[in-house]
Amino acid sequence: MASRLFVRRRDGRIEVRLNDAGREIAREAFGHVLAAETDPTHEWHASLNGPIDPSHDVDDPLATFNRQHEVSSNVELAVATLGEEFLNDAEAWAWLCTLQVALRATITAKGILTSDRLEETDDTTRDYIQTLQAFLFSLADAM
Amino acid sequence: MPSLKPLRVSDQTQTESSVVTLTERSWNVVVWDDPVTPMSVVVVIFRRIFGYPNNKATQLMLTVHHEGRAIVWSGSLERAQGYCVKLQVAGLLCTIEQDS
Repeated sequence: MASRLFVRRRDGRIEVRLNDAGREIAREAFGHVLAAETDPTHEWHASLNGPIDPSHDVDDPLATFNRQHEVSSNVELAVATLGEEFLNDAEAWAWLCTLQVALRATITAKGILTSDRLEETDDTTRDYIQTLQAFLFSLADAM
Repeated sequence: MPSLKPLRVSDQTQTESSVVTLTERSWNVVVWDDPVTPMSVVVVIFRRIFGYPNNKATQLMLTVHHEGRAIVWSGSLERAQGYCVKLQVAGLLCTIEQDS
């Protein structure tokens, strides 16, 4: 896989240099976020609905609604631009947010809350986490 | 809704009117560390959401990394909730708490 997966161009757009396998991984991650947003039984659902104010049993309904709306907007934009060669600023932000949500949801669902636990996890999960991290490193660098 | 904390109540006599000074305790937006989020991603998110310069965003990221958490913004409840939602939407582990 190329070392620079996302590259900022002079015109401000971000070039996506993911190959087909890379785009498939992104497609899978975006699909899981989309499904988890609406399916309470999805293993990533809890991660997408963490508490805003832990001192209260229930968070402000408007705040939770806004969170759901913004996550949905980002993932829908990310899915819609999966095949694009170049991303504008808003699209790149949607990719970054959705990939990061997928990364955090993965570790939450697997109970990976410490570096030690990350070292102990199975190879498949660790490879998946490292792939998402590589995407995020490069995309953040390009932004 | 912000709670009101009484700071001083003067009740020297029944005939004097009480002086009550009230102040609003601010709300903190707290970002928590996790073992996988790339540092550069956290910096980009802080710059984008708060408009912080790179130095401040990097310093806050390092505080999260070394101390396990950092207060990244303080102010009214409504704005704290708004920032917390944006940080959670960006995939960071974030909560709000009232200043002690």
